[in-house]
Amino acid sequence: MTDPTQITRILFQDFDPKAIYLFYAFGYLAIAIFIHGCYVQVRKYRRGKPDESWNQIFKRFWDMVKTMASHRTLVRRDKKAGRAHGLIFFGFVLLFIGTATITLEYDILEPLFGVRFWYGNFYLLFSLVLDVAGFGVIAGLLYMMYRRKWMNLPKLDYKRVDRQVGDPDYDRSQYRREDWAFLWSFILIGITGFILEATRLVWLSETPSVWDHRFWSPVGALLAHMMEALGMTAEIAGAFRPYLWWFHGLLSLTFIACIPYTKIKHIFTAAASLMFKSPLVGRRLPIIPVEQANAGYKTITDLTWKNLLHLDACTKCGRCQEACPANAVGAPLSPRDVILSLREFANKTLNAKELPAEAELDIHGKSPGQVMQETLWSCRTCLACVEICPVAVEHVPIIVQMRRNLVEAGEMEPILEKTLQTIHKTGNSFGESKRKRAAWAKGLPFEIKDARTEPVDILWFVGDYASFDPRNQKVTRSFAKLLNKAGVNFGLLFEAEMNAGNDIRRVGEEGLYEHLATSNIGTLQSCDFKSIVTTDPHSFNTIRNEYPDFGGAFEINHYTTLVKQLIESGQIKLKKKLDYRVTFHDPCHLGRYNKGYDAPRDVIKLLGCELVEMGRNRDNSFCCGAGGGRIWIPDPVGIEKPSANRMREAGQIEGLDVFIVSCPKDLTMFEDALKTSGFEGQFVVRELIELIDECIEYDVVDITNEAEVITTSD
Amino acid sequence: MKILVAVKQTAALEEDFEIRDDGLDVDEDFMMYDLNEWDDFSLEEAMKIKESSDTDVEVVVVSVGPDRVDESLRKCLAKGADRAIRVWDDAAEGSDAIVIGRILTEVIKKEAPDMVFAGVQSSDQAYASTGISVASYLNWPHAAVVADLQYKPGDNKAVIRRELEGGMLQEVEINCPAVLTIQLGINKPRYASLRGIKQAATKPIEEVSLAEIGLSANDVGVGKSMSRVRRMYIPEKGRATMIEGTISEQAAKIIQIINEFKGA
Ligand code: SF4
Ligand code: SF4
Repeated sequence: MTDPTQITRILFQDFDPKAIYLFYAFGYLAIAIFIHGCYVQVRKYRRGKPDESWNQIFKRFWDMVKTMASHRTLVRRDKKAGRAHGLIFFGFVLLFIGTATITLEYDILEPLFGVRFWYGNFYLLFSLVLDVAGFGVIAGLLYMMYRRKWMNLPKLDYKRVDRQVGDPDYDRSQYRREDWAFLWSFILIGITGFILEATRLVWLSETPSVWDHRFWSPVGALLAHMMEALGMTAEIAGAFRPYLWWFHGLLSLTFIACIPYTKIKHIFTAAASLMFKSPLVGRRLPIIPVEQANAGYKTITDLTWKNLLHLDACTKCGRCQEACPANAVGAPLSPRDVILSLREFANKTLNAKELPAEAELDIHGKSPGQVMQETLWSCRTCLACVEICPVAVEHVPIIVQMRRNLVEAGEMEPILEKTLQTIHKTGNSFGESKRKRAAWAKGLPFEIKDARTEPVDILWFVGDYASFDPRNQKVTRSFAKLLNKAGVNFGLLFEAEMNAGNDIRRVGEEGLYEHLATSNIGTLQSCDFKSIVTTDPHSFNTIRNEYPDFGGAFEINHYTTLVKQLIESGQIKLKKKLDYRVTFHDPCHLGRYNKGYDAPRDVIKLLGCELVEMGRNRDNSFCCGAGGGRIWIPDPVGIEKPSANRMREAGQIEGLDVFIVSCPKDLTMFEDALKTSGFEGQFVVRELIELIDECIEYDVVDITNEAEVITTSD
Repeated sequence: MKILVAVKQTAALEEDFEIRDDGLDVDEDFMMYDLNEWDDFSLEEAMKIKESSDTDVEVVVVSVGPDRVDESLRKCLAKGADRAIRVWDDAAEGSDAIVIGRILTEVIKKEAPDMVFAGVQSSDQAYASTGISVASYLNWPHAAVVADLQYKPGDNKAVIRRELEGGMLQEVEINCPAVLTIQLGINKPRYASLRGIKQAATKPIEEVSLAEIGLSANDVGVGKSMSRVRRMYIPEKGRATMIEGTISEQAAKIIQIINEFKGA
């Protein structure tokens, strides 16, 4: 039986002490380069504006650890890549811990206290674990290589949609080279590690304390046997080993030194990005501090340190681009390109020792690193990019902040400018008189309460489209009848209701938003009600998530939640079942923004419909194209509209009867799109309320005497 | 160098509106006020000169009107005007365009600008004579419906293009100082963001009384105006009606209509 302390690996075995010193010198050099790189990065972040995200730091840290440990965000919509990354990541973590353990004993505990633990059974287990880890890393890397080389994934094509062929930063081939350099150097470190291990085994094949336990390093042992079979002797191995050792060692040190300068830094930046992510990102846009003179982002130094950090976290995975509706229809926007452009810009300007002059910091324009207006205006703030990004990059706040600057400078479509002026003048985007806000209610067989003058349980915030658009007014009337039938004590704000401001804020007209929000909040606060309901997901989002920043905290529900309760509690009786084959489109502001995926589906099922999901559903729902103020800007002719793209998707469902929406803007967008889609006549677009309406029996009594209805309708 | 821009807050009507009880105007409840569309362009023209000039150019906006006009002046300040002046006295209510021109003239004499811009007309009253009356009171050269302007601060001549009928343009050289009334489309007016307007709230608007410009209540108002509104009304709609019935019924109806028109 060998003495267990003999079962270990002797570090620098048979090395000349000078060589060891040399290695340490290289080691320190690598660390120095690494630290300098980190310093430059941190200095860059510190050149950004302040951000409050330091709160709850431990909770944030813990959440980040959980996300990384589960790889939850990485496996979404690309399981294989996520798992391969998992192999690399966990393998790397184990190898790192392994190396740290050795350092702990060799450089700290043993020289200082004479303590040793890296031998015997612990050593053997250690060897096994690290062998498996190293194998995992190599397997993961091989898959990644295969994926890059042979899978031809469009999302891994870095060619830009917002630049022309021939522009200096058009194809971003530099990134491709970096990707391959990374893959190759990493895999070489792994492979040489194993060969080195095998070489050592062959070299020490006469030493029982090593050779007898070789299968605790299974990969190394296997290789050793293969080498022996190929005729390698202990002498040859001994002679070969130093070269290999130095190659492996120097490559590893170079790798470490390169971390802050290359894509490898995502190890740190992605983790930090996940840690500092905002729980309400996009749902609640940043307010402009009172003392700040200019709105939005004009220069790279207007970005916060957190924004700058997010830029560095991007791993170019392309998932955001793949999810982006603007990108899907060929608009000159890829969320990834926005992030990468700004990152390049930040690295160019903020890594320098001295900050360049103000004029050189302008991030708007067509030069490399700048973002074009057309790009910014193409965004529909649908949040698909933010939602899928595995490393919590927050594109939308940056895009909106940049738009704020464009709005301030008047750089926008004339038609959008007109709409904003109209909204300022009339409080609604239709340019209708305030007095007509509740004109849709004319002809209803009952009076709707004025919530400004009498207390109600539920205040119905109607929103512009539901109030003024003739097609949507029908739906609005149905919903009023439904509430009335259910005996809900509800009321409206009538002419005091203004556009809730959600889309105006997303356009970037922050001043107008503040004006609308504060006046709505003032009106709401003067009313006596328990909660708000709305059929408009846009209003829903801003009242729910953004009004609190302006002093208005209200309980608000989207109508799907309320209707579900009313049906389940029996307040609404469904007199018949529908046997339609339907599909449901998740509105961005209800689904992704507010996680309201289930209530509409539950209602659909309660109605008896057969729900067939489209490929892109729930969190991956495809924006109708109306968000972010784009409803006021006509889409360019010649390219497909996102709504048309969606119709094509729905058209693939066999025997589809109804395409259900639960948002007034969706109704407008999709009814329009259906007309030109070629599917007209095959299926129809309906607001969910209309289907519910079909199932409710409004008896004649309703019209003549509503008071009686409540008591007799059962 | 100073450019004075005369602006007006005009009223747009809501879809359903009512005429005031005295029958002279629309009930104010149904009006939505905003800066006159033409004035957006004249202010922009002044701002363009200011921004492209090496020397200091002061842009002063002047309006005649009650408190509510401040909102529109603030919009001008948000767009970059340096100062805003508002002249008002309740006695000025009902003044016609020429009297307004007179009031503006007194302000202009005090301000002594190098150029005066006004809109071709106002979108609500459409007299198209305020600017021109100012020129006449000042005895300055003037040009109306200016669709293009070439002028640099300090020049003693400006070259303008005027829009004529049938798509014709007329190029005119005009001595400065001059009064120009500016046509829509001469430039692209900038957007005044709401934040800009709010920030402009801190810039003062100079309120000027009639006395300060050497006028009195007797010089203004309906009394001094050479034209007066007698009534404002909506012409009857639906003048064409199908006359139905038998031949004799139709004839009787026609006779009745003719008699009504004759005032019988
Ligand atoms: S918010 Fe939507 S439209 Fe805008 S960049 Fe992201 S995915 Fe594209
Ligand atoms: S921003 Fe996020 S989703 Fe988009 S490419 Fe970068 S890491 Fe991927």
